[in-house]
Amino acid sequence: MVLVPEKPLDAALSELVREDDETFLIHTDVYTSTAVFDAEMRTIFERGWVYVAHESQVPLPGDYVTGLIGRQPVVVSRHEDGEVYVLLNRCRHRGTVVCRADAGHSNYFRCPYHNWSYANNGDLVGVAQATGYPEDFDKSQWGLVRAPRVGSYRGLIFANLAAEGPTLEEHLAPVRRYVDWWFNRSPLGTITVLPTAHKYPYPGNWKWQAENGHDGYHGNYVHESWQRVLARAGEAPVKEIRKYRQEGCTRGFANGHGLLERPGGLNPAASWTGRMMAKYPQYAEALHERFGEEEIEEISARRNIFVFPNLYLFDTQLRVIHPIAVDRTEVWLQVYALDGVPEELNQGRLRAHERFYGPAGFGAPDDVEIFVSNQTGVQARGVEWALMSRGMHREEVLSNGERIGHSTDETPVRSLYREWKRWMGA
Amino acid sequence: MTRTEQPEVGTGASPTRDEAEALIYRECRLLDGLALEDWLALFTEDGLYWLPVADGEPEQAVDLVSIVYDDSARRSERVYRTLHTPVLDQNPRSRTVHLAGNVEVGEPDAKGDTRVFCNQIVAELRPGGEGQLGLNTPRIFAARCEYRLRGTAEGWKISLKKLLLIDSDQPLYNLTFVL
Repeated sequence: MVLVPEKPLDAALSELVREDDETFLIHTDVYTSTAVFDAEMRTIFERGWVYVAHESQVPLPGDYVTGLIGRQPVVVSRHEDGEVYVLLNRCRHRGTVVCRADAGHSNYFRCPYHNWSYANNGDLVGVAQATGYPEDFDKSQWGLVRAPRVGSYRGLIFANLAAEGPTLEEHLAPVRRYVDWWFNRSPLGTITVLPTAHKYPYPGNWKWQAENGHDGYHGNYVHESWQRVLARAGEAPVKEIRKYRQEGCTRGFANGHGLLERPGGLNPAASWTGRMMAKYPQYAEALHERFGEEEIEEISARRNIFVFPNLYLFDTQLRVIHPIAVDRTEVWLQVYALDGVPEELNQGRLRAHERFYGPAGFGAPDDVEIFVSNQTGVQARGVEWALMSRGMHREEVLSNGERIGHSTDETPVRSLYREWKRWMGA
Repeated sequence: MTRTEQPEVGTGASPTRDEAEALIYRECRLLDGLALEDWLALFTEDGLYWLPVADGEPEQAVDLVSIVYDDSARRSERVYRTLHTPVLDQNPRSRTVHLAGNVEVGEPDAKGDTRVFCNQIVAELRPGGEGQLGLNTPRIFAARCEYRLRGTAEGWKISLKKLLLIDSDQPLYNLTFVL
């Protein structure tokens, strides 16, 4: 079943991204055109795999969170069979949403309009004043519509409104080993999302956030203020922070994924994980019990991983991008605890999160200023193309399609737009 | 820790409503005038400036994420960052008007600091050029507040300033000024 009708797209949309051997250009319409936004929602978000929730947000049967897939309201619901269902939040009778809370626990979803009731897997279980329908009215045909495909990888729940297409496994495959290493910072390999998320809106296109999370080029400029705060706190002189920011690499993958990577290692001066292992011997022990030295080296690298199109894995948070309109976006920072680590370690991570991220943090609001300044700037037309070529001449291309760039290069953002272009031409 | 090492032992007294109001109004004036270094001096050394996402007691905040959870070091960092570093999110700076009302003096907490409840409305605007998104729009923030005040040799000081915004769990744009 394809829930979103096929509609021929304007073929010109795929021409908004242009690439040759030396140059990679993004047309301004990508950020400003409502037709582009409609096409993105109809295709990338409503026919592709999108992140919807984490398993730890719905641990028990009856638990639910609501959200959006593209523009469509959904309920992510744990049924008594233990499975997670992603249900279109729309009563089959007249279209009313059956759940209005952001999260909660309920034995069923009841439409407030005419009292139709649905089980947590979407089955229609009750119709008020049922004699108004024939005796052979087949309730099994009138359940809440389920997203045709739901998949989970290491607790990350994704849904797809198209019945056909690449599997979640195929979608994630190019970036999977980096996702695994990211999760393995927990000796149990799992995380628990906390109930109090940070959320920020901004009057700008969703892709400003998508582009920025693995941009290693802006740090010395947008975050100079942050670097001075660190220097004042005696954590590192600005010069050293800037040297560190040259290290590591960027990676771009097939299917639009990408990441920014800082080198790992067990030297406490060089990596966060190294510092934590030195500070909490039981954490070091737990990691050593499960992983070899080389794997710990990989685990300890710091990575901001973008899972196309709406999820970032960050050190302290799952960052979920909600496109609202072509010039309006909400970003949710679902802060998580690493499972199986000392309590103080997680508390330290929470304080570090509050210090940098969130609407009152010392870093993220500076990024948001840039997103908004971008959206204002691209109103100037006649300058139709943005330049995304940085590092094309020096990136390494592996046989599996993975590309490796300098830590300040635009390698991952080109991967994002190659996938974007593919969808727009689909 | 011996008593002599504690610089700010409470006198055990409670402020009158007039005294509590005077302190809160003074704080409003300092914030609106961007006298942030003077604002720092209103707090006790162990004082907390707290904007929770969900309501609760400050002791619970250690295991949750707050919008702001500033101890003394973090408050000082916040002020340093705002006044002395090249911030983007406070360039242009926020103009604010803080209005506090409905002040009531409550019971002491376990440390003997007096709870003072009030409501605050903060109006904020960042000015800029024509057509600049995110600027030139007045915003209103409404919060239920709890202060805890401690009598010290230097007068009444704040050991807790908690603001529970009515939209604390909603998407919040740029809260990099002091509420």
